Amino acid sequence: MKRVLGMPPAGLLAVLLAVAAVLVTGCGIRDQESILDKDEIVIGVRPDLPLVGFRTPGGGFEGFDVDVARYVAGKLDKEFTFLPTLAADRDDVLVDGRADMVVATYTISQDRKANVSFAGPYHISYQDILVRADETIKNVRDLEGRRICEVTGANAAKRVVEERKVAARVVPFPDYRRCLAALKSNQVDAVTTNDVILAGLAAQDGAGLRLANAQFNEQRSGIGLPKGDVPACEAINRAITDMYQDGTAEKLLKKWFGKSGLDLDTIAVPQFEGCS
Amino acid sequence: MTLVRTRPGTSSPVERGVPGRIRVISGITVASLALLFVALAAGSSTARDGLQVIGRDAGPQVVATAGLYLALSDMDAQVANVLVMGDGYPREREAATTRYEQQRSVANQALLKAFELSGDNPAERLTVQSVLDGLGRYERLAGQALLLDERSGHAPGPPPEEVVRSYRDATDLMRQVLLPQAYNLTLENGTIVRGTYDEKAFTVPLLRDAVVVAGVVAIGCLLWLQIFLARRFRRVFGPALIAATLATALALVSGVAVLGQDMQALRSAKSDGFDSVLTLAKARAISNSMQGDQSRYLLDEERADTYEHTYLDKSMSVVYFEAGNLDAYHRKVTTGSTDFLGLLGPELGGRQGKAALAAYRDFQATDVEFRRLALGGQTNEAVAERLGPVTTAFTAYDEALLKLAETHQGVFKRAIDAGEGALNTLWLLLPFAIGAIGLLVIAGVRPRLKEYR
Repeated sequence: MKRVLGMPPAGLLAVLLAVAAVLVTGCGIRDQESILDKDEIVIGVRPDLPLVGFRTPGGGFEGFDVDVARYVAGKLDKEFTFLPTLAADRDDVLVDGRADMVVATYTISQDRKANVSFAGPYHISYQDILVRADETIKNVRDLEGRRICEVTGANAAKRVVEERKVAARVVPFPDYRRCLAALKSNQVDAVTTNDVILAGLAAQDGAGLRLANAQFNEQRSGIGLPKGDVPACEAINRAITDMYQDGTAEKLLKKWFGKSGLDLDTIAVPQFEGCS
Repeated sequence: MTLVRTRPGTSSPVERGVPGRIRVISGITVASLALLFVALAAGSSTARDGLQVIGRDAGPQVVATAGLYLALSDMDAQVANVLVMGDGYPREREAATTRYEQQRSVANQALLKAFELSGDNPAERLTVQSVLDGLGRYERLAGQALLLDERSGHAPGPPPEEVVRSYRDATDLMRQVLLPQAYNLTLENGTIVRGTYDEKAFTVPLLRDAVVVAGVVAIGCLLWLQIFLARRFRRVFGPALIAATLATALALVSGVAVLGQDMQALRSAKSDGFDSVLTLAKARAISNSMQGDQSRYLLDEERADTYEHTYLDKSMSVVYFEAGNLDAYHRKVTTGSTDFLGLLGPELGGRQGKAALAAYRDFQATDVEFRRLALGGQTNEAVAERLGPVTTAFTAYDEALLKLAETHQGVFKRAIDAGEGALNTLWLLLPFAIGAIGLLVIAGVRPRLKEYR
């Protein structure tokens, strides 16, 4: 009893501190790790789309998506490296952890949300139609009975025929390069896909092809993230808000698409999907 | 803390012996009591901060910004309605114009409220200002379209080309700039609530544990003091110290209970209230612009495909069925399957939810008829369908969602009130508890020390 009574205060303090320490470390475990916890991140961008995401002969990357990726990484205060990511690999690089973020004309869809999460959208684009300079096609309805090119694996032509129920004649090609050649040599009358992709193809080609600015089928390009990374999604949405508020979005759109024939009269502010 | 540690070191020869001991033990007791009340104050002010942010800032801001979205979206829908009416519906035209004015006033009020609630958040304030600027421009553009339309005196259905072009400028500004900004403001509050909740869910239990530790130590010290005094002075009871011990135990138990209650209040306010309120606000916003897309589909033939697609896209984000085109979606939604994803997926479980789903189905069924008429070239009938059955069905659906939102809003408000109520009681009693326990300790110790003078 005597010893208990004489228990030194320092001992008491030690007990208190020890309990507190256990509590702090015990509760410090987070449910899921976020890419925000990393110092350096890997960003997947397209290597194959001029003006959007394109690998230069020097090995660097350039384009609208690439600049958006740089801006967002800067806002998140992260070092970053780019990973060339083709359309078919976008889900995979996120799921298997090769990339932390994908900025690659990645359309937000309910199906994809099963595997990955999306921040943004950072840009609203539309399905559009690329035609020869002398063509009269103005609208998706005008494709009725005309020959349109279908790139194997892409669903843009299918969306004209099925979703819009326009009876166009679909001619298959293996890639957009050959589509463009067919358009110029009169084998098809139109090429249809995302407007920024068409703008890039036309600019690269330089042979006077033009966008119809038909703007059907809205497409929301989002920033792909590992599934469930809510903190990163929220931080990126704030970065995108800043990008539109500080004028960077308008500057980048004009820089890349100002001469491409894309309609930039209204700089559309993207309506976010939400992160949960 | 320093008090506790320095006491033994500074003990002068005079303080040695029994009175010194009493002073040391009393000092430790008072220090541990201080620790208890500091932890209690820290815990309860952290919880109060959480209730304030979630309950008084973000919660009302969601309501204000969602109201802003709905008013703006409805303004644009009313303009589109007037433009397809042509010269066929003078009474409806008058009503739509009045409604446009009303919604403009609602939007202005919501903007003021949103600006006030955005406090010192610079991004939110910028967004509110940008919407305010844009709204002025929108009104000018919409006014031009309405004026051109009135001069043209066309039959019900699509107005002349120049009216359509003029309206496009207005609606593009509204749908592509103003509405997304209002929507993102609503979402930003979801971010604020999640961040605040996560932080509080971490710190409040930690501080509650600190209260428990400090309280147990304080009670231990009080008992130690009593046992010491009992042995030295051969008294079995020190009534004042017993009372102090009981009061400390009471403060400990009620403090822990209040912090637990507050954690529960925060959880319930977020999970059962706020999250659903936010989701339903989003669903109502998207749904409202869907019905605007119906009018725009009718009035702008060149963009009809775009508006049909956005209608489908929005339908799918609210209630998702896998469908390649609108016909397929209509078939799936009207057959009555309840196996769906999308925003409303987790919200339509209960009785009220089922009613809302049924109302949504009815609304989509009127859309089937509306598009059949429009595609069949029966423009006049399509306009009548849009202004009659479609609007009625939409209003019923929107009211069902609103009712559901009000239920969750009630849960939210009750949880916040309960949490704040518990804290208020604690804060009211805390000063008295501190004072009483302090006096009791003095009353218990001083007479013993006096015996040595």
